[in-house]
Amino acid sequence: MVTQEDLATTNISMRYDLSPIRNIIGDLSGLLGNFSDELIGAFYAKTVSKKANIVITELVNNAVVNSTDRDGKIILEIVIEKNNLRIRVANAANRSQYRKVRDHIRMINSTGDLRKLMADTIRERRKDRLRGGLGLIRLAAENKFTLSARYRAPFLIVDSQINLGGLS
Amino acid sequence: MKVLAYGEIMDGGISVFSSVAKVDADLLIVSFGGSIRIDNPYKHLEQYLVELEQLVPEEKIGRIEFDFKELDFCNSNGFYIIMDISEMIIDATDGPINIKRLKDDDWQQETLPILLNVDEPEIEARTTFEEFATI
Repeated sequence: MVTQEDLATTNISMRYDLSPIRNIIGDLSGLLGNFSDELIGAFYAKTVSKKANIVITELVNNAVVNSTDRDGKIILEIVIEKNNLRIRVANAANRSQYRKVRDHIRMINSTGDLRKLMADTIRERRKDRLRGGLGLIRLAAENKFTLSARYRAPFLIVDSQINLGGLS
Repeated sequence: MKVLAYGEIMDGGISVFSSVAKVDADLLIVSFGGSIRIDNPYKHLEQYLVELEQLVPEEKIGRIEFDFKELDFCNSNGFYIIMDISEMIIDATDGPINIKRLKDDDWQQETLPILLNVDEPEIEARTTFEEFATI
C-alpha cells in the first residue's frame, strides 16, 4: 500500500515553452498555477502545492508582462526531486531589466527581517496604489522560497527553490 | 441576519471571487471566497466598497468577524482591496475582531495579518485568530 509519506517522495518534472507571447491573452499564470497545484497536490500536501501555485502565478505573470520580445517565448520549469521544489521561469529581457531584478533579489536575500520588509513595502506602495513590486518579496517572506536570477542572453532566468522537509 | 452588501469579480462569465457583508444583531460578518487573480480588482469591486462605506456606519456594530476560509488565492494586486475593505470595517467599531483563517495557507498566516494591520497595538489587542484546517 502506498502511504502519504511514499507519495511525498514522488519525482515530478514539468516544462512549458510558450510562444509567441503576444498570443497570450488569457490568464496563463492562473492556468499554469492551478494545474500545477492540482497535479502536485495529488502527491504532496496542500501546503506544498499551494506554494507552487503562488510562485508560478507571480513569476509567470512577471514574465508575460515584462518580456521584451513579444514574438519570443517564456519557459516554465517545475521540478520536485530529493525533497526540493524548484520553479524556474525565463523570458526575454535586456541587461538593464536583469540588473534591476538581480538587485531586487539581492536586497531581499540580504534582508534579516523579511516580514518587516513585506509590511513596509505593502504600506509604502499602497499610498500610491502602485501595482507590482511585491511579487518577489512575497515569495521569500510569505512562501519561504530562496530566489536567484541570472542572465543568459536574451533570457532573464529567475529560480525559486524551497526544501520540502517538514512540509510534505 | 441581513445582507448589507455583496461584491464579486466575474471572469469569462463566471464568478471567481465574492465577498458578502452581513449583519446579525451587533455582529458584522464579512466573508471572502474564491480567488483574486485579475490585474485590477477595483474594476469589479469599487461599487462594493462604496456601498460598505455608506451602509456600515448606519449599523450598530459591536463585533466584527472576517471569514477568509473560502478564499483560495489572492495575488499581490488583491492586497490593497483586502486592506481597503478591512480597514474601513475595523475603523467602524472599537469592538472585538474575530478572524477565521486556514492554518496551512501561507498567505493567510503570513501576509493577512499585515493587511489587517494587526501589528498596530490597538488592533492587535482586540483581534483573535480562529484557525481552520483545509478540507
